[in-house]
Amino acid sequence: MRSNLGRAKYDFFTKIALGLVIFIIGFLIILPLINILVYAGGPSGSAILRGSISDFVTRNIIWNTIKLGVTVATLGTLFGFILAYTQVRVEFRGKKILHIINLIPIISPPFAFATAIIVLFGRSGMITRGIFDWRPTLYGFSGLVIVLTLSFFPIAYMNFLGMLRSLDPALDEAGLSLGANKWRVFRTVTVPMLIPGFAGAFLLLFIESIADLANPLIIGGRYTVLASRAYMAINGDYDISLAAGYASLLLLPALFVFLIQRYWAQKKSVISVTGKPSGRPILVTSIGMRSLLLSFTGLVTILIVLIYATVLVGAFVQIIGVNNEITLNHFRYLLGGFANGAIKTTTFLALIATPLAGIFGMLTAWLVIRKVKRGSEALDFLGMLGIAVPGTVIGIGYAITYNDPLKIGGVTIFPQVAGGAALLGGSIAIVMVYIIRSSPAGQRSGISMLQQIDPSIEEASASLGASGAKTFRLVTLPLISGAFLAGLLYAFAHSMTTLSPIIFLVTPDTSILTQKILAEADQGRYGNVFALCCILIILILVIGGLINYFVKRNQVSIDRPMTRSR
Amino acid sequence: MKSSEGKLSLVSITKEFGDTQEKVIAVNKLSLDIEPGEFVTLLGPSGCGKTTALRIIAGFETPTSGKVLLDGVDLSSLTPDKRPMGMVFQSYALFPHMTVFDNVAYGLRVKKMSGASIKEAVSEVLNSMSLSHLANRAPNQLSGGQQQRVALARAMVVRPKLLLFDEPLSNLDAKLRAQMRTEIRSIQRKLGITSIFVTHDQDEAMSLSDRIVVMRNAVVEQVGTPEEIYRRPASVFVADFIGRSNFLKVESAVAVGDKKAQIVVGGKNMQVASYSENLLSEKSVLLVRPESIQVSMSSNSGSQINISEGVVENLVFYGNHVEYTLESNEGKIIAVVSDPVYEEIVPVGKIANYSFDPTRTWLLPLN
Repeated sequence: MRSNLGRAKYDFFTKIALGLVIFIIGFLIILPLINILVYAGGPSGSAILRGSISDFVTRNIIWNTIKLGVTVATLGTLFGFILAYTQVRVEFRGKKILHIINLIPIISPPFAFATAIIVLFGRSGMITRGIFDWRPTLYGFSGLVIVLTLSFFPIAYMNFLGMLRSLDPALDEAGLSLGANKWRVFRTVTVPMLIPGFAGAFLLLFIESIADLANPLIIGGRYTVLASRAYMAINGDYDISLAAGYASLLLLPALFVFLIQRYWAQKKSVISVTGKPSGRPILVTSIGMRSLLLSFTGLVTILIVLIYATVLVGAFVQIIGVNNEITLNHFRYLLGGFANGAIKTTTFLALIATPLAGIFGMLTAWLVIRKVKRGSEALDFLGMLGIAVPGTVIGIGYAITYNDPLKIGGVTIFPQVAGGAALLGGSIAIVMVYIIRSSPAGQRSGISMLQQIDPSIEEASASLGASGAKTFRLVTLPLISGAFLAGLLYAFAHSMTTLSPIIFLVTPDTSILTQKILAEADQGRYGNVFALCCILIILILVIGGLINYFVKRNQVSIDRPMTRSR
Repeated sequence: MKSSEGKLSLVSITKEFGDTQEKVIAVNKLSLDIEPGEFVTLLGPSGCGKTTALRIIAGFETPTSGKVLLDGVDLSSLTPDKRPMGMVFQSYALFPHMTVFDNVAYGLRVKKMSGASIKEAVSEVLNSMSLSHLANRAPNQLSGGQQQRVALARAMVVRPKLLLFDEPLSNLDAKLRAQMRTEIRSIQRKLGITSIFVTHDQDEAMSLSDRIVVMRNAVVEQVGTPEEIYRRPASVFVADFIGRSNFLKVESAVAVGDKKAQIVVGGKNMQVASYSENLLSEKSVLLVRPESIQVSMSSNSGSQINISEGVVENLVFYGNHVEYTLESNEGKIIAVVSDPVYEEIVPVGKIANYSFDPTRTWLLPLN
């Protein structure tokens, strides 16, 4: 029961901002999700939903999805923990480089891993066949596990790194001083304190791996998961209700796990991140343990380097491993017409979405932390939906919702923005997806930054006579410009590399780079795949660098506004 | 120099937080009139509602009921930026991305003053607070005391009708705190700006205020000058919160004319020099401040009134004063004897005489 006690009183600017954010969330994510559920109620959709209990084939797909999610989440969490533990608790040379290499998979374009793994370790793999004369089959569960674990473990690695660094070494010292040996301290102090962290990382990786569409398409073989089945429902069965049925089967567990992760695992955390290192961590010194940790870390790192080397070399030779003659043919073909349009369109649309996603993320973060008094958690959750909901689900939801104009009582209130006949060749829907998929990252970094900024700084501005909008512009935004920049960079990189929602929205008029990569991978033209990945990475690095430069330069002028006091 | 503007009236302000099920009353029917130019302190333990009251005045919180009037004008519908008030925050809340000059100029720029007059006004206030040499520094390059001064300058330069202080000295060390106290008081007197100061530190309240408002559990316990609060507290809570106290249980009390009273404490007759009428009963306690108590060797007892004895249970020697804990029939007695004579310090375990002046006592209602 609610009462009007302490009723929130919002100023004009807050009201406008709140209305805008809710409107955007409503159109960009809520409406498509509602439509998924509505269409899943159609004949073939509801048959699938019923079949999730009765039908063997459907149950098998669900089981495949869960098995893949649990396996990848377990391995990825373990990888992430071991690598982070080694990074924090073992002294060795080349730590920094290893750290950067372990983070690279986060911005990797889709297919780069899957194709490189096939080239290296597949039936005709350069290593498996070339060195060991062994011809394993990677297509299916095992290949998926390898590729997804390597792609997603950096998320767990980042989480554990932050936690292990903020663990107070005094706790370890207290354990040691009470007579426990290092192994006992690890078992009884370190690990128990990290249990919520393990749970959190596991759940995050679970969501990522059941949501992934690119890898099941390319390396899944006959191992069908919900995401790839939903894709087939649209591109093979041409049955939108069927697709909506599979999508909602995927949506519900993803949302459920996301809720657990955010509201249970994160709140259970006993580690307070103070940002102040409280001393030198106790290092692992025993030779056995050191060599064990270092060789595992080394192995993973070498694997990542090997994969990227394959991508790079593969882009510049005829057929890597078969005909290693150096050539620029792939680039010539791609830039000679095949991919020009996609490169331009993708970059252009990503550049439009980036600032919008960044500002939207900051605005949401600011409303959640500073302004909305009741229901701020709900607003935060709604803002995060774009990342919590699997891309496949969003893509299908958009295809359902925006392939026709939105009408109320015969009056068009929103034009058709997706599909071939849509306004601007469907590019509006793609930008909308880019925004809603990448703004949550900015929202998160904005929230964590705002939490560190004393609210009385903004109150001081108000007490000096500045209105809500003025305070946001003159005080809040400059103070969170770091988070804003991070949000922009993420938005750009993510928009450039996203595939699963986009694949349902591309039209002949708007082709997107990642979809071109999928087409080439499908045809087995790996040289083109590698070359496209290189182009994508270069675009991200160069334009990301420009964004960084541009924002940082502006930041300086914000830092010293109007200094006329000399 | 007192301005005629800046009379603040709080009319039965109440602030409730939470739902009806879990209602927390932060401020309960607070009414208060503050005269132009007056310096009033809201004093109380944490959670007593003093900060909430200040934030309601500033407009950061909306009262559940009640009104805030400034010079007779109701401020209820005004957001903080529309209220003519300056606020100094506990954390100073300096804009970290601006220089000292820009921090102080902020309020004037928001008011769209011309560049020249901003420069003049800012330079003047920086000068008066000896901050001119720091004008181009960033806040994080300043010491705590300097940051505090900038925060004060920033709030003052816009010439507010009301200055609000939210525990501004609590992050400073003891010496700097004393110095800033004096500085704040002298500047406030000079400008004659009505000021409201929130603190839990009794020294700050005593040394700064024209009047002190003692709050407890969302309600006002007493409003008075520092002298009244200290010497004529309204309740055991006030007496205990401000300064240290001995509370002696009164067994019976009778008036003996001219505001004097005869009371019985621990079976002994004692005298009280003045009291408030309705407290003359066995339902009261006698307040004696530790520094009002004289302690001597039991042998050389004179002909003083209000004299008793107790065993020295503990003794702490501070140099300029000595603090005794005595176990007596009247209960545990704390006595602080300043400038003690070496030979007259009563050692632990010995019986000491203690006595106090009837004029330095006060009767309080028993809770």
